[in-house]
Amino acid sequence: MALLEAEHVVMRFGGVVALDNASVDVDPGLVTGLIGPNGAGKTTLFNVVTGLLPPTSGAVKFDGVDITRATVAKRSQMGIARTFQKLEAFNTLSAFDNVRVAVEQNHRAKWKHRRVSDVAHEMLGKVGLDDVADVTVGTLPTGSARLVELARALACRPRVLLLDEPSSGLNEEETSSIGQLLLELVADKDNDLAVLLVEHDMSFVMGVCARIHVLDFGKIIAVGTPFEVQGNEAVRAAYLGGDEFRGAYAEMDE
Amino acid sequence: MIFGLRRSVVAATLLATLGAVVLAVLTWKGSQVTSESFLVTTYIGLFLGALWAMYATGLVVVYTTTGVFNFAQGAIGVFSAFLYWELHVNRGWHSILALFVVVCLFAPALGVTLDAVIMRRLRTASLVVQLMVTVAIMVLLLSVVGDIWEADTPRRVPYLFGINNGIDLGPSQLPWHRLIVFAVAIAIAVSMRFLLRRTRIGTAMRAVVDNRELAALNGARPNVVSSTSWALGSMMGALGGILIAPELGLDPATLNNVVIIAFAAAAFGALRNLPMAVIGAMLIGLLRAHTGAWLDFGPDFRFAHLAVAPLILLFVVVALPQARLEVGRLAHHLRRHERYTKWWEGLFGCGVVILLAVVFSGGWLDFGIWDPGAWGSRELNSANEAMALALIGLSLVPLIGWAGQINFAPLAFAGFGAFVYLKLAGDTGNGYWILLVGLLCAPLGALVALPAARLRGLYLALMTMAFAQAMSLIFFPHPWVMPIIGTGRQFPHIELFGVTFDDRRGFFLLMVCVFAIFVYGLVLLRRSRYGRRWMAINDSQAASATLGVPVVWTKVVVYAVSASMAGIAGVFWATVSGNVDSVQGFDLLIGFNIVLLVAAAGVSIPMAGIFLIFIPLFKGFGLRLEDAGNVDFLVTLLDIMTTYGPGLMVLGMVFNPRGAIFEMGRGFSPILPWRSDARAEIAAENAQKREPEIGELGLERPFNPEEVIAIDRRLGILDDVVPKEGYGTARS
Ligand SMILES: Nc1ncnc2c1ncn2[C@@H]1O[C@H](COP(=O)(O)OP(=O)(O)OP(=O)(O)O)[C@@H](O)[C@H]1O
Ligand SMILES: [Mg+2]
Repeated sequence: MALLEAEHVVMRFGGVVALDNASVDVDPGLVTGLIGPNGAGKTTLFNVVTGLLPPTSGAVKFDGVDITRATVAKRSQMGIARTFQKLEAFNTLSAFDNVRVAVEQNHRAKWKHRRVSDVAHEMLGKVGLDDVADVTVGTLPTGSARLVELARALACRPRVLLLDEPSSGLNEEETSSIGQLLLELVADKDNDLAVLLVEHDMSFVMGVCARIHVLDFGKIIAVGTPFEVQGNEAVRAAYLGGDEFRGAYAEMDE
Repeated sequence: MIFGLRRSVVAATLLATLGAVVLAVLTWKGSQVTSESFLVTTYIGLFLGALWAMYATGLVVVYTTTGVFNFAQGAIGVFSAFLYWELHVNRGWHSILALFVVVCLFAPALGVTLDAVIMRRLRTASLVVQLMVTVAIMVLLLSVVGDIWEADTPRRVPYLFGINNGIDLGPSQLPWHRLIVFAVAIAIAVSMRFLLRRTRIGTAMRAVVDNRELAALNGARPNVVSSTSWALGSMMGALGGILIAPELGLDPATLNNVVIIAFAAAAFGALRNLPMAVIGAMLIGLLRAHTGAWLDFGPDFRFAHLAVAPLILLFVVVALPQARLEVGRLAHHLRRHERYTKWWEGLFGCGVVILLAVVFSGGWLDFGIWDPGAWGSRELNSANEAMALALIGLSLVPLIGWAGQINFAPLAFAGFGAFVYLKLAGDTGNGYWILLVGLLCAPLGALVALPAARLRGLYLALMTMAFAQAMSLIFFPHPWVMPIIGTGRQFPHIELFGVTFDDRRGFFLLMVCVFAIFVYGLVLLRRSRYGRRWMAINDSQAASATLGVPVVWTKVVVYAVSASMAGIAGVFWATVSGNVDSVQGFDLLIGFNIVLLVAAAGVSIPMAGIFLIFIPLFKGFGLRLEDAGNVDFLVTLLDIMTTYGPGLMVLGMVFNPRGAIFEMGRGFSPILPWRSDARAEIAAENAQKREPEIGELGLERPFNPEEVIAIDRRLGILDDVVPKEGYGTARS
């Protein structure tokens, strides 16, 4: 059984159907990809899974437990952590304090025998931000602020980590080191971690993901290994544009 | 869901109905209800409701189209009513002409000016700045009214067509004035609804608030739209003010307080729904009229029937669904920079403050202006008042400054603290009880925050305002709460460590020490995990929640801490004057001024509290100068500074939201060796400013890649700021 399951999730915003019967499952020990064109509903799915949006219908299950009605904070305590596509770092706090807030919140449950500042430093070290620990995050470049969010999420010692476009704002070198970090994290049996990754950078996705879900107009149109997904007709159509409207869409993108 | 209604709505409605029935049974006057008297009361209620509906419509229109909740709506009405009086009564203009000039010329001009100069710049500001600025405008408008039209002349605004002309209703009359008010209010609400929902400009107006850039691309002109709505909102405020003035009398404070009822009505429509807001206004009107007519709360609760609006607001707040945690707004917000006050800086600052206080009050230094040794009781009184206010101001630092939550009721909490102290230590003055006061005030703060903490910040702000009003209408006037015994001192001199602080100088020093302790405590708190968490929910509630922070609970705790500090401050505040009048007789305006001054000073820095000492100190200083002889100019200047200073300073926040102290620290940083952080920040910001300007929306030539990146950054589109090889491989 998968660790995290979104089952038949529907999310409507007035007339817009952002998620249309979408089901996604995430297993520990590997990085699962979630890809799709702009506006496909990837971020919306994250919001539903973390509890920031109540779905119109459908269920979210974590470790077999239905958490569709659980609060955001409760899900976090259970082990769901995330980063945001549009930055939500604590701009007025230093990078170190951003992580410290997360460690303190989870200290009793998850970091009992370690000092808060040790854990915080370790997490910052993992994402390579030791030198800017004392810098106010609001003054950091976008890419670094994104890494602060990642460190902060790791400080919650999650069992499922949801990453919304972690590579945007990073250069190629930084991107590949993040990919490396993710692979190391899921490979570590002690962590027992599952990662769900939303990315536009296809080489990055194909490089780290073991399984990929493809979302298009709120529907899951394909699930499989990177190789299977790349060869899938529906996926190609979604990205390249099958009908007239999508053709226009693809043109706009170029 | 029960009958298609949310559970919270059903629960709140049941509770409210039950409460109302119990209250009605307990306080029934016993007067005969005839169909006539019932009818008359009902029509008065509907008429009152119509007036409030007019204000509420203006509020809702401005809020739905610009995202700014206008606390100055009532003050615009006050100003307009006085202007109308001036033109019509004082200068003898015909009422129609005066009405036209005020409502159709002056009010829109005021609205457009406000929008162009101030409001437009508030779009991306934080809620604290938005609210502070509109409150500042309210306070400034009221001060101007007070200065132009002196309060001691009695004035009346006549009814349109006189009170005696109208339709006969048997025992009484329905004057044309009231009939017209009702018709006009409904007409305005209906036409605004039509404008917003059915017309092109209305659609544009609603679209702009959701996504300005997108709406602009579709041809809406955001500035025209926001000016239009401010002009309309201001016209409705003006009309409301002029039409309600004959009923309430031309008194700025009374007229301004009307707006609280309008707030409750607007909240009834969740601040966006016009028909519901109008229904809310009518409901409040009917409740007010009927409670006034049939219920008698007895002499102890003689103002209680006026408290309908705060109760309605409470009902609404309980019934509203939980607010969603907003995501993706952060990119639009101004970035704030914060730094810890180092512990030694805190100690040093407190030491300096204490030293200065000792020097001044002891009269060891001679400044040439006056002989400090001869500080009279009056000056010491001002100084004492100043310190007490500064203490109250400090209570706002963690709340507004760190957690970004708003409290317009610091004086109500202070008053409650004074009440608790009076009951505990009223006859001995034993100072140790003050600690218990602090403990007992905390639950009150939590209680006020609890119902609204799960909603957007604006509702919490409104709740605190309603709380302040309810306290001054129901709680403080009760004779058991603040008994006035004879003419003597009701609040005893505080006794601590075996010393009775009955001498003003000693009491001043005591307060300075308490101030220093508060400040130092705040410095430590700010560095603690609690301070960090409060700053975190201020920056992003959604992110805090996903880290496991219980956001609602955290807010409730900050309110409790703040209320506890305010309560302790209240003890000192009450002790300064020594009698209960000072606790009872505050009005909302003083509370507003406290909040404004602290905000303008830069409320996230503990020392901001010290700014509050300026008002009473200037006053005392002015009195002293007046005695000394010919310095009229200085006296006037000080007078202007104390009346307009807080408001004007807050307007400065439009441009410098971080407040005066922050900018001062910044300004001095080149000569403070340990502020290398500030110097680095200034350098970084200057570098940012040099970023190239974007050309005329790419009309003359296509954008080059750098410009595309710059535009993305401006619009908060964060993906792929750095284009990479391999991006979108699957697409091409
Ligand atoms: N709060 C909201 N209110 C209304 N519509 C929304 C909201 N959030 C998302 N949508 C709509 O839902 C759809 C899916 O959006 P979402 O942000 O989930 O897409 P995405 O796959 O993350 O796209 P991107 O690759 O651009 O990040 C879009 O059409 C968007 O406009
Ligand atoms: Mg997205």
